[in-house]
Amino acid sequence: MTASADLAAPLATDAGARRLAGLRRLDLLGLGLTLITLLAAIVFAFPLYWGLITTFKPEYEIIRPGVALWPEHFTIENYVHVLLQTKIGYWYVNSLITSVAVTVIVIIMAAGAGYAISQLNFPGRQFFWWMILASFMVPIPALIVTHFVVLSQLGLINTLAGVVGPQLIAPVTVIIYKQFFDSVPKDFREAAVVDGANDFQLLFRIYLPMNWGVTTALAIITFIGAWNLFLWPFLAVSSEDKMNITVGITQVHDAFGVSYGRDLAVAMLAALPVALVYLVFQRRVTQAIMLSAGIKG
Amino acid sequence: MSAQNGNGSPHVELRQVTKRYGPVTAISDLTLTVEKGSFTALLGPSGCGKSTMLRMIAGLEAITQGRCFIDGADVTDLPPAQRRIAMVFQSYALYPHMTVRDNIAFSLSIAGASRKVQRERALEAARILQLEPYLDRRPAELSGGQRQRVAIGRALVRKPEVFLFDEPLSNLDAKLRVQMRFELAKLHADLRTTMIYVTHDQTEAMTLADTIVVLDRGTISQVGSPLDLYNRPANKFVAAFIGSPSMNFFGVDLVGASDGLASVVLPGGRGARARVRGASKPEGAVELGVRPEHFGLTGVDDPAAALPGAVVIVERLGSATILYVDTPAGQLIVQGDGNLAVRPGEQIGLSLVEADVHLFDASGVAL
Repeated sequence: MTASADLAAPLATDAGARRLAGLRRLDLLGLGLTLITLLAAIVFAFPLYWGLITTFKPEYEIIRPGVALWPEHFTIENYVHVLLQTKIGYWYVNSLITSVAVTVIVIIMAAGAGYAISQLNFPGRQFFWWMILASFMVPIPALIVTHFVVLSQLGLINTLAGVVGPQLIAPVTVIIYKQFFDSVPKDFREAAVVDGANDFQLLFRIYLPMNWGVTTALAIITFIGAWNLFLWPFLAVSSEDKMNITVGITQVHDAFGVSYGRDLAVAMLAALPVALVYLVFQRRVTQAIMLSAGIKG
Repeated sequence: MSAQNGNGSPHVELRQVTKRYGPVTAISDLTLTVEKGSFTALLGPSGCGKSTMLRMIAGLEAITQGRCFIDGADVTDLPPAQRRIAMVFQSYALYPHMTVRDNIAFSLSIAGASRKVQRERALEAARILQLEPYLDRRPAELSGGQRQRVAIGRALVRKPEVFLFDEPLSNLDAKLRVQMRFELAKLHADLRTTMIYVTHDQTEAMTLADTIVVLDRGTISQVGSPLDLYNRPANKFVAAFIGSPSMNFFGVDLVGASDGLASVVLPGGRGARARVRGASKPEGAVELGVRPEHFGLTGVDDPAAALPGAVVIVERLGSATILYVDTPAGQLIVQGDGNLAVRPGEQIGLSLVEADVHLFDASGVAL
C-alpha cells in the first residue's frame, strides 16, 4: 500500500460517517413530514367521516349537543326516505345525461379545435389561439348572468340542453390538446398525408388514438366537473324533474324544515359515482389535474 | 444547373425548380430527370437541399417555381396521395397504436378497401419482407430493423410508381445498416420500381444506386454512376465528398499541357503529369487532387518519388493501412496494404500515376 492510500483511508471513513449522520437527520425530517401529512389527512377526512356517520343517526341524535363519533342508534331511515320519497331517480338520470353529454361534446370539440390550431394553416389561426387563451382567463361565474339571458332568449331555460350549453366552454381542454398535438412528430402527419388521409382521418385515426391517455384523463376530469357543478344547473332549472343531483339536495326538506340526516344522505349518494370514478381512475385523474395546472406530466 | 440522367425514359422530372423559404433560397433553378426503374441516390452534406427535393417530388413541400412531372403527368399541384408515390421516412413514422398489420394496411383502409383486401395485401407485403410472424405486434415490440421493414411494407402495399426514401437507414446501427442495404438492393432488383433515395452517407449511395446525384448548396454538382463520380469527379466538391478517406488536395504550378496530358511542378520542386479533359488549360496555380489509395510508396531517393515525406502516424485497419505523411505539400493521407511495413518517423517517397491525378482550377472545376 502506498503512503497516499494510507492517508486516504481515514478520510474515507470520516466521509462515510458524515453521510450516515446526514441520512439519519434526513430520516427524522421524513418522519416529521409524515406526521404532518397524516395530521392534514385526518383534518381533511374528518368532515367526510362526520357526514357519513351523521346519515346513520336518527334526527334527534344529530341535533343533540355534544360530539358523538358513533351513532347511538344505527339507522338507515334517512336513505330509505331519500330513495323512496324524493325524485332522486330523476336527478341521477339528469346528472348522468348532462355530464355524459358535456364530456362527449367537450372532448370532440376541444380535440377538433386543438387539432385545427395546432396542425392547420388558416387565416386567423393565431387570433383564435389568442382568443382561446384569453377566454381561459375569464372566470365562468362572471358570465353567469349573460349565460342566463342568452339561454332564456333561446328558450333553453329549464331544459337539460340549457344545463349542458354553458358547460361546453372549455378552453383549458383545447389548450391541452393543442399542446399535445404540437408534440406529435410531423412525420406521422406526412406519412398519413402521403397515404391519402384527410384531416378528419388524421384527427380520429392518428392524433386522438396517439394521445389516448390525455383524452381519458380529460374526459374523467370533465365528467367529474360536470357532475359536481352546482351553480349553473341551480340557476338554469326550476322544475324538480329536470334537476341534477347536486341541485336536488336542496329539495330534500319537509314541513318541519331542514333535516340534516336526509340532506347528508342525498349528498353521500350524489358523491358516490364521482368517488367511484375517482377510485377506479385515480392515476388518470391526478394526471389530468396536473395537465390543467399546466404541468405536462 | 441541369442534369440528364441516362438515356432511358424519364419517370420523374423536376424542371427548373426553385424553392424559397422566405428570403432564403434552398434550391435554385434545378432540373433533374430520373429514368424509369432506376435507383437514384440524392447525395450531399446536410443542408444541401436533398431532402427538400425529395419532399417536393412527394408533394409535401410546395414548389416555389418550376414544375414536377411523374410518368409524364404534371403533378406540381396534385396532393401527395394522388402522385402514386410512397415514402419511407427517416423516423419510420409507424403509428404506435396500430399493429404491424394495421400499419401496413393503413393506406388501403384510408382508401376504403375491404377488410379482406387489406389483410391479403398486408400479408403479401409482409411475406416479401419476412414480417409474417410479427403482424399482430405493435411497433414498440419490434427491433430497429423490423420497424424499418414495416415502414417499407407500408410503402410496398400501395404499389406505387415511385418509392421515395428519406435517409431510411440512418437510425440503424452499423451492422444492421449493411444488412438493410442488401435487402433494399434486393427489393429493387425484384420490383424494378423507380426508387429515389436521399442520403448523406456516400457508402450507401455508392453501393445501392445506379445513379448518384451529388448536391451542393441547392444545386446539382454532378450526376453519374458511382464509378463515374469516383474516377472522374467534375469538381473539387464531388472529389472531396466521394471516397473515404477523403481525397488529398494541394496547390501545384501548371507548366504546360498537350494531348490531354498536363505537366505540373509539385511543392518541393519535382514534376508530375496528370490527365486533363477540359478545353481550357489555364497556366499557373491550380490544385491537384489524389486519393489516398492512389499513392505509390517508394524509397525517399527513388527517382519515381514525386514527393518525399516523413510518416507521422500509422493506422492499422487490417485490410488496409492508413498513413499520415508530412510532405512539402502539407500533411497527406496515404492508404496502403494491410501488412505494410512502415513505422512512424520513417522517411518515404510517394509516387503518382497520371491517370489517378486530378487537377482543379481556381473555381474548383476539374480540368
